[in-house]
Amino acid sequence: MSGRKGLWRVAGLPTTKAGVERAFSYFIAGVRLGTVAQMVPAVHIGVATSPYGVAYLASWAAAACAAVVVSVVTLVRRRPLGAAGSAADFALACFLLLLGSVLLEPGERLGTWVAYQPAYALSVIITDGGVRSRTLWAGGLLGVIVCYAVYLGGDARGDTTATAIGNVLTFVVYALVVRMFFGFTRRIAHDADASRARAAELARREEERRAQVMMHNGVALMRLLTEPGTDASRSRLIDQAEVELQRMRSYLRGQAPDRDGTTAYGAAGANLTVAFAAMIERVCDRFADLHVDALLDLGADLRLPATQAEALQRALESLLLNVRAHARADTVVVHLDQGTDGSWTLTVRDDGVGFDPASVTAGVGLREVVMGELRRRGLRVEIESAPNEGTTVTISSGSAPAAARATLDASTDAV
Amino acid sequence: MAVVDDASLIRESFGLLMPGLDVVAAVATVEELTRRRPVVDAVLLDLHLANLEQPDVRQGIAAIRALTSRGYRVCTYSQEERRFVLAACIAAGASGVVAKALPTGRAERLLIEVASGGTAVPQSVVGILEVLVRRNCITLLSERQRQILYGRARGLSYGQIAKQLFVSESTLRGYWLDLTRSLSDSLRSLTPSEIERALGLAPGDLLELWPEEATDAKDWWRVDTGK
Repeated sequence: MSGRKGLWRVAGLPTTKAGVERAFSYFIAGVRLGTVAQMVPAVHIGVATSPYGVAYLASWAAAACAAVVVSVVTLVRRRPLGAAGSAADFALACFLLLLGSVLLEPGERLGTWVAYQPAYALSVIITDGGVRSRTLWAGGLLGVIVCYAVYLGGDARGDTTATAIGNVLTFVVYALVVRMFFGFTRRIAHDADASRARAAELARREEERRAQVMMHNGVALMRLLTEPGTDASRSRLIDQAEVELQRMRSYLRGQAPDRDGTTAYGAAGANLTVAFAAMIERVCDRFADLHVDALLDLGADLRLPATQAEALQRALESLLLNVRAHARADTVVVHLDQGTDGSWTLTVRDDGVGFDPASVTAGVGLREVVMGELRRRGLRVEIESAPNEGTTVTISSGSAPAAARATLDASTDAV
Repeated sequence: MAVVDDASLIRESFGLLMPGLDVVAAVATVEELTRRRPVVDAVLLDLHLANLEQPDVRQGIAAIRALTSRGYRVCTYSQEERRFVLAACIAAGASGVVAKALPTGRAERLLIEVASGGTAVPQSVVGILEVLVRRNCITLLSERQRQILYGRARGLSYGQIAKQLFVSESTLRGYWLDLTRSLSDSLRSLTPSEIERALGLAPGDLLELWPEEATDAKDWWRVDTGK
């Protein structure tokens, strides 16, 4: 029951193209049936005063029936009339106007509801304003105006000319306004639909990206585990794999990885801070086989929000996994620097084989886990690499670009 | 080059494993080397020399001092990894500190560099030096020196830094050599408490590791870890 009620509630209609067309059908039915209701009280006077009472009644009934039919059809179709329906509607309005010039006495054609024809014609202009074809709409309007002029005939004498001109202007102005109303509302609905589709696509991509971010380090670890290695190295990999496993489980359970308490800082909550240098040290310890030189004294006091630290931890792990898997590096340096203004810079440098950033497409690790995730959190990420010259990744807080740059020009500010 | 290492296998095999080095003397103790006084470009020195057969020999910082005081350039070659111990070696006058864990080819390149008059400062020690400069324990007057230290502390290669400073790589190596000498001199002049304060360590943390002028006893070196 509530569903049926909801079906007729304009406020409950969706703001989609279909919803807007349905709202138009309510509007059209309202205008047309309202016009019929206005015509009813004067019908008996018209029958009595018309020189052709029966014909007058027949034309009135035709107008009323047409209004009802148009209302029903639009409600059933859940959208305004099509081109053929509108053309027929305009044609009937014109015909009734022409017929009115015969059925009504000259003095009855202006300013009374006995002369229902102009009001009926106006209701047609208003309700057919949403027809798609501009030619049909303009032709219909022109036809009504011409027929209205014929309808008035010799009745447009001196004192009524102004009223007649006003009525014609009413036709024109209402036609334009309603046409704009239909067009603009349809554009809003179209844009809303496009925005919803875009939002859905973005949500899908975001979910895909989240999955990639969540799975990447785990997949890299599994690949390393499939390669031959010593018991010690496998033991380290298994320790890391357990951490990644927890993250993936959290993701599959639909929990935010940094809020569920299963990760290193999850229990800390979003408002707590983490000692960044200690976190880096723990990550570097897990990559003992790389002999990482962790120079963290300059940022020993730095504390970061737990969620940001979590993203940085994943990024650092991803970078070191890349070094382990691809770089063939002799040395790896992880350097943390905090400026006096609170800005900080983390530099991860390896002297491995490097790559050409212009010709190599960044993998999921660099593109999503490092650049995407960190930039999303307002951090700056720069990657410099060249074949056989190693790779330098510089991550910095956004507040101080000078401290964030890994160029030597920044040393003046930092030292 | 002369080699001082208590492990006979290591000292005897240097010439074979590192053909780029011309080993003219390979001895087990600093005392023996100073007695023979060979003419060499550099002495390759193991930090831990005392063992059951030679329990009282000079080792560690005392060994470095004994050699540098006789005009030798010293490059330590050890399994020692504690950064403050390595920094203490530089402060005691060692021109290079090379880890035994390094691949042979890379270790050989570093040893040749030291023998050629260059330096080999481990990354962890460069980090300590950068902190001391930043916290005004060591004063660097030159802007260029600051820039080079900034780059080296972040692991950048000579080539990368040279490119960014628009100088040749050989010029930059010269700058770095001057800088490391200057920093080593400055490091030597610092007291353990000054370094502890700059690095945020607890008072006394460095007392047993850092070579004060008065400490030249041959047995000061702690050998409980590192070898």
